[in-house]
Amino acid sequence: MSAKSLSKGKGRVKKKLSGSKSYLLNWSKTFRGRLTIICLIGLCLIPLLTQNRYYLGIFITAMIFSIFAASWDFLAGFTGQVSFGQAIFFGISGYITSYFIRYLYLPWWASLLIGSLVGVAFGLLIGIPALRLKGPYLGLATMVLGLIMFYTFLNVKFEPWLGGSEGISKIPQISRNAVETYYIHLIFMITSFLILIWIGKSKMGTVFKSIRDDDIGAEASGINLTKYKLIAFMISAFFAGIAGGLFAMHNRGVNPGVFQPLYSFYAIVMASLGGIATISGSALGSYFFWFAAELFSEWPDVSVFIFAIILILVIRFAEHGILKPVLERLKDIWDLVLGK
Amino acid sequence: MGVILEVKNLTKKYGGLTAVNDFSFEIKRGEFIGLIGPNGAGKTTVFNLISGFQRPNSGTIRFDGKDITGMAPYKIVNLGVARTFQLVRSFKLLTLLDNISVSCLSSRGKKVAKGHGVDEYASTILASVGLVDKARIPPIILPHGDLRKLQIGKALGTNPQLLLLDEPFSGLSHEEQDVITDLIIKLHDDGVTVFMTGHVLRELMHLVPRVIAMHQGKFIMDGTPQEVAKNKIVLEAYLGKGEVFA
Amino acid sequence: MVPIAEVIIFGTIEASVYGLLALGFSLVYGVGGILNLSHGLFYLLTGYIIFWTYTTIGIVWAVILALIIIIIVGGLSYLLLIKPLQENHVAILIITFSLGFFVEQFIKVFGDAIPHTVPSFVGGAITILGVPFPSQFFVILIGSFIVIAITGLFISKSKIGKSIRAISQDREAAMLMGINADRTLMYTVMISAALAGIAAVLYVPASSIAPHMGWDVLSNSFAIVIFGGLGSLKGSVVGAFILGYTRSFVNYFIDPAFSALVPIVVIILVLLIRPRGIFGKKEVY
Repeated sequence: MSAKSLSKGKGRVKKKLSGSKSYLLNWSKTFRGRLTIICLIGLCLIPLLTQNRYYLGIFITAMIFSIFAASWDFLAGFTGQVSFGQAIFFGISGYITSYFIRYLYLPWWASLLIGSLVGVAFGLLIGIPALRLKGPYLGLATMVLGLIMFYTFLNVKFEPWLGGSEGISKIPQISRNAVETYYIHLIFMITSFLILIWIGKSKMGTVFKSIRDDDIGAEASGINLTKYKLIAFMISAFFAGIAGGLFAMHNRGVNPGVFQPLYSFYAIVMASLGGIATISGSALGSYFFWFAAELFSEWPDVSVFIFAIILILVIRFAEHGILKPVLERLKDIWDLVLGK
Repeated sequence: MGVILEVKNLTKKYGGLTAVNDFSFEIKRGEFIGLIGPNGAGKTTVFNLISGFQRPNSGTIRFDGKDITGMAPYKIVNLGVARTFQLVRSFKLLTLLDNISVSCLSSRGKKVAKGHGVDEYASTILASVGLVDKARIPPIILPHGDLRKLQIGKALGTNPQLLLLDEPFSGLSHEEQDVITDLIIKLHDDGVTVFMTGHVLRELMHLVPRVIAMHQGKFIMDGTPQEVAKNKIVLEAYLGKGEVFA
Repeated sequence: MVPIAEVIIFGTIEASVYGLLALGFSLVYGVGGILNLSHGLFYLLTGYIIFWTYTTIGIVWAVILALIIIIIVGGLSYLLLIKPLQENHVAILIITFSLGFFVEQFIKVFGDAIPHTVPSFVGGAITILGVPFPSQFFVILIGSFIVIAITGLFISKSKIGKSIRAISQDREAAMLMGINADRTLMYTVMISAALAGIAAVLYVPASSIAPHMGWDVLSNSFAIVIFGGLGSLKGSVVGAFILGYTRSFVNYFIDPAFSALVPIVVIILVLLIRPRGIFGKKEVY
């Protein structure tokens, strides 16, 4: 714990001492930086290896869920608030995006933006009352709202308005060209990650983290807890909404299933596997999850069952996730190969 | 010199227990004043009530003429009342510089920090509490004396007019106490009104010109340290508790 | 009119079952400051153990077996998962949430996802105000009232009950008095599991059981406990009745489609108007 935060502290120092340009240069020379660059180049090159829609689809799903998991990680890791209803924003944005594309013929990007903003509005609806209290109310309140959205959207009575169990289908994909779709998702993923990491490193991020570390202390420092928690919650809801809208378009439709606690669970599993408060760990978690899920594609329940066990073990025995530490081990091997 | 803090008939009850009982006093701008009483006298509760972390059952608190009774803590801070805690609190995973930056990012702190930039302003404060060489490390590895300095630095970041220091010496060695004492004197010289608690009289006696004594939630007396030291009830309260008195 | 009798009876049934569920949920929060997100699994698992075993060992043994298992599961979930993470509330939330998922998926993987029913203990019907109600309803009513009464007595009179109250009022003072906080919390989780288990024993024969139901149990318990005030036992019981009647009323007079919305509306309104809940005494800070 202490060693980890120390290295974080040093990272910030470098930035402050040398300005952002040379910070990037320094970062690219670190092990973590090189690894990130290699991974990104790798992702850029994937379409050269295969243009198969199905295989690219797995990567696209993983990218969408990277954003979704990162949105959860941002909230939990930087502000210490846990949402068990992240699926609300994912789902509502999926519905709104689909609706605007299908029935109002808006371009996909405009629909996606509107969908995500409506997700933010839902964040306010539940966040304002829930954040009036200290304690983990937000987490449970979001879960309850998610569950209720699930039943409401599923309900036959509301079918004329909400689409019932079929939801909204036959939405055109972002692009007919699988490779183009792939790159659009890649850009979305990278941009979302950059924004979230940038906010984390900004002054506002410092305030978020202070609330996470000691909320009473933050309040004694003159910080309006409710305001900042709400801002963090809205940012989180926005990116969950982006992921939800992309997911709806990728699947060419959306149904009430997206509101299930299962989707919130996905976000938590991926972020926790990768390492909470790392943002980029969410991507690792998401790829790991979807590649593993591919092995069990015949039995989806089994893969969730196994991941529930893994999550329990990770939280119980490795609070900081497993994928990031494993990668940090890799550095030793890397050094060995280079003969350092 | 006007009145900066006016506390009237303050009462706080927990179930059957009255922690603060009909407590009243005034502090003038620029004063340097101590609040003494044995452990459990209600000093921290008085601070919690002034800083808004607890609501009184009755009574009023006015800061600079403005009624702040029951206001949210962060609002009180942004009016110019900062406090430290008896048990040190810090943002464990942030560097010392960022620990201070948080206060500089409060709406009151921002106004001062604007001209310099938050980092610059925060480093100035770190320098003034003597921690500038440790700006880049997180507080978890600091010795206790440095943590006490950090508490004061965090409070200074909000640019307070009135500084409430809750037991600033607790858990410190004599050398560390001297350092903190110098720091507090310097702050007072800079124009900050300082109101501090202590349960061992010795620490405060040589420092402040005026002391308020309380016992079992009640106001006992208000006067110079010498006067207070002669007061019978004060003596009994302390001797009864077996505290060291010098 | 006929519906009035039905509204009241159905409302009372739901209320008494949810009273049992919310009571345990609130107890654990009061004693340990823990929101146990796996609370629903106690209900779910009891129901399924009865469903899986009653054909071979008979309903009575199935019930006894289920309750014993669920109390052990409660104790183990505390010892193995909650206790080691006590310092970290975020981790407790995540791990209890995962535990809930684990059980849901366990049932889906080794059983199936469709709803099942369990036979009633008693057959026949009792007619009230001209409306026949299954006798099982009265088993639920009487059973849950007895259990709530016993729980109340247990908390106020027994030694464990007294330590539970002491810890929830002032943890540090209670520990100074020599009360073992960890053990008390373990007993509390076990009691909470037992109460949820009994709720399942009484209610599952009158309804059905499916893997996703754990979340409904959890969200309703949470709504009730928010309404009544976290940590307040009286609040849980009163909250359960108000929620039960409201749902039943909405079901009959407005539309069943809206009765699912009742819990979230309750939560949002209470948090906006009186965040402490009706019987909550804890300060916001």
